[in-house]
Amino acid sequence: MSATATLELDYTPQCVPPISNEPDPTAENYLNHSHTWLSWLLTVDHKRIGIMYLVAVTTFFVFGGLAAMLVRINLLTPTGAILELDQYNKAFTAHGTIMLFLFLIPVVPGVLGNFFVPIMIGAKDMAFPKLNLASFYVYAFGAVFFIVALLTGGLDTGWTFYPPYSSKYSHTNVLLAGTGVFILGFSSILTGLNIIATVHKMRCPGMSWGRMPLFVWAMYATSVIQVLATPVLAITVTMLAVERIFGVGIFDPTLQGDPILFQHMFWYYSHPAVYIMLLPGMGVINEVLTCFSRKNIFGYAAVAWSTIGIAVVGYLVWGHHMFLSGQGVYLGMLFSILTMLVAVPSAIKVFNWTATLYGGTLTFQAPMLYALGFIALFTIGGLTGIYLGVMGTDIHLHDTYFVIAHFHFTMVGGMMFGWQAGLHFWWPKMTGKMYSDFWSRLAAVTTLVGFSLTFLPQFVLGFSGMPRRYPYYPPEFQMFNILSTAGASIQGIGYLMPVFYLTASLFFGKNAGPNPWRATGLEWQTASPPPMHNFDELPHVTCGPYEYALPSSFQLVEASHNPDHPGGDHPHLVTAGDPHGRH
Amino acid sequence: MAATNSTHDGAAPIVAHHFNNILQQQSSVRFGMWLFLATEVLFFGGVFCAYTVYRRWFPLDFEAASTALNPMIAGINSFLLLTSSFTATLAIRAAYTGNQGRLKAMLAATIVLGVAFLGFKSFEYYQDFEEGLVPSAQVANPDPLHHHARGMDSQFAHNLQHVLEHKKYYKDGAHLEDVNLDRCRLFFVFYYGMTGLHVIHMIVGIGLFIWQYILASRGFFVPKERFVYVEVLALYWHFVELVWIFLLPLLYMTGHHSFSDL
Repeated sequence: MSATATLELDYTPQCVPPISNEPDPTAENYLNHSHTWLSWLLTVDHKRIGIMYLVAVTTFFVFGGLAAMLVRINLLTPTGAILELDQYNKAFTAHGTIMLFLFLIPVVPGVLGNFFVPIMIGAKDMAFPKLNLASFYVYAFGAVFFIVALLTGGLDTGWTFYPPYSSKYSHTNVLLAGTGVFILGFSSILTGLNIIATVHKMRCPGMSWGRMPLFVWAMYATSVIQVLATPVLAITVTMLAVERIFGVGIFDPTLQGDPILFQHMFWYYSHPAVYIMLLPGMGVINEVLTCFSRKNIFGYAAVAWSTIGIAVVGYLVWGHHMFLSGQGVYLGMLFSILTMLVAVPSAIKVFNWTATLYGGTLTFQAPMLYALGFIALFTIGGLTGIYLGVMGTDIHLHDTYFVIAHFHFTMVGGMMFGWQAGLHFWWPKMTGKMYSDFWSRLAAVTTLVGFSLTFLPQFVLGFSGMPRRYPYYPPEFQMFNILSTAGASIQGIGYLMPVFYLTASLFFGKNAGPNPWRATGLEWQTASPPPMHNFDELPHVTCGPYEYALPSSFQLVEASHNPDHPGGDHPHLVTAGDPHGRH
Repeated sequence: MAATNSTHDGAAPIVAHHFNNILQQQSSVRFGMWLFLATEVLFFGGVFCAYTVYRRWFPLDFEAASTALNPMIAGINSFLLLTSSFTATLAIRAAYTGNQGRLKAMLAATIVLGVAFLGFKSFEYYQDFEEGLVPSAQVANPDPLHHHARGMDSQFAHNLQHVLEHKKYYKDGAHLEDVNLDRCRLFFVFYYGMTGLHVIHMIVGIGLFIWQYILASRGFFVPKERFVYVEVLALYWHFVELVWIFLLPLLYMTGHHSFSDL
């Protein structure tokens, strides 16, 4: 530890340093230890599986985005610009189902969760590596059903599969798509199960629950929802399939069934599912904000427990989707009150993030821009959710574009921005390469502008009474629809840009080095890209994940890369998060 | 733990590469199975929930429909399944103590009892099929002149009425006239759906027991640390049995049965 002994304790907060070119990583890592196709397709390494998820979900995002553009272009004129009526139904159903089931649910758990949860808790791999690979293939298998269903005639039920749209009155591929949902559900369950078991059983010495990064807390809460809610969706679509195949009436009122029961069971999954989509994004924000404001998170315990709070209360609010579909008024009141409760942990998070920023030494690289966008957009999305959770206003706003705008503000403004923040934050760790600073910042700003232009007008449209899922609308709504479509185009450019500059970074990017952001998390204490088993030796953790206020963690990492310093000694490894190098 | 980290034939290591020691691995495996069972509870929970809703709405119809089932076979099957759970537990003990012969015997007993359950179950399905208790919407008699007085026209309702009259459903105060026989279809949807799901889970379980029997024959369980795999499979098996414990009263004991009908 001679290198650490000479360090001066300097408590001045340090900015994230400018990006410099680090020497080529010489050691064997998870990317270069073998190059064959089979070594990727049959890998049980959580990092490679994460990369495979990255490729898959990005592809589906592109298709879901194209379907969205079809919908937006069609809405340019009051009588539908390009699509027939049934084509329009299929386009918005394709957009909804692809984005939700194939993109939003697996994206952060599959990519960042898979890649970083084991590294962040100091484990060599997930608790069940083979199951992890299986869950990827189950995802791929379910996706095949979905793609076939969408390509051979499409699906026109909306993403909610409400009977009788999905049972008696649908002549599209409900069965195929339902099978796809069933299979994708199991992929989601297996990923969640794996992450829970990993967090419980695989933490390295010293990694107590109170020292886990908040991203891991978020992934844990997400996984609990995945494990406890998804089976209900699976059994619900099974019953729907039984109804369609055998012509019996589980949900069909003319055969003594009850369509409201389907809605209850569907939302019992699908409301918690929006927290499957949102919580991981919130988790990413904690990591990014602390790093780029060089401060510890404000109120670690409050943020951690608010994550659990959202997961728990999220189970008790599904009825707010059904205020107008025949459930009892008093039940509706109860659900309305419980819905208000979700605002409490959500607000705790936003206030804590704001307090974390307060007095920090902020720098505005791409991850930080996305994270700040998240906070702004999620706040709008969350507050408009309260309008919809109150029964009185919901009667006016139900099934209008107000709902669409609210949902996209939380899902795109929340999860998509959280995902982009996380991807940009950890890209140097995943690939060892740094992307273009200029283009990434431009993409973040473009996405934010495009997003706001797309969905702010939809609040006005919805409040004025334009219903969702209608291809036609009165001519006086046209201006807002044109604004929205223009915004969607800008947003599309904002999403395409990362595809190009991130890919380019693989070939032309500077070497990022192990810790380009000078972050304190355990994942930054190993090489970029990480070695096969993540760490060269078992890490021992001695303090929390966000110790940015302590002096010289920056200098310590510098010292450990001093060529005079023999490579066998890794002070940063054994004392992750402890800049003093104490044992 | 390095000393124990090899089998007698030097094949796969006992502790996988990503675990630090055998205890961590064992507790992870156990924890994973409990989590999986939690998802299973929710999976079956959905269909139990739907059953409960309709049972509460249509109690008389569910009672009548349940009467048409055969509680005798269900009783025998309960005995078989509970016994197989017992032998599965003995298999854990045998693996834990390293008694390979007893382990194989107990695994085989579990398989045999499970297969016997499936045999009786198939016979029961066959009987139901012979009695025409299939919840289809097929129309029995399209000729309006031959309609039953109460307007029953589905083949299913016709068959169910026949079975219930044969079982003298009305003899202890119940009235067939109060029952909407078409609505009893709903009960049979749940009967086939729930027992079908249970049977699928049993087939998977028996398959896994056969696989473990093969592993046991090859000496996989000679290192005693591997008893945990028998343990988690037995956990799954107990769960499947537990589902049956709920199915038995919900499906079979809802109706009016008498010894003379058995």
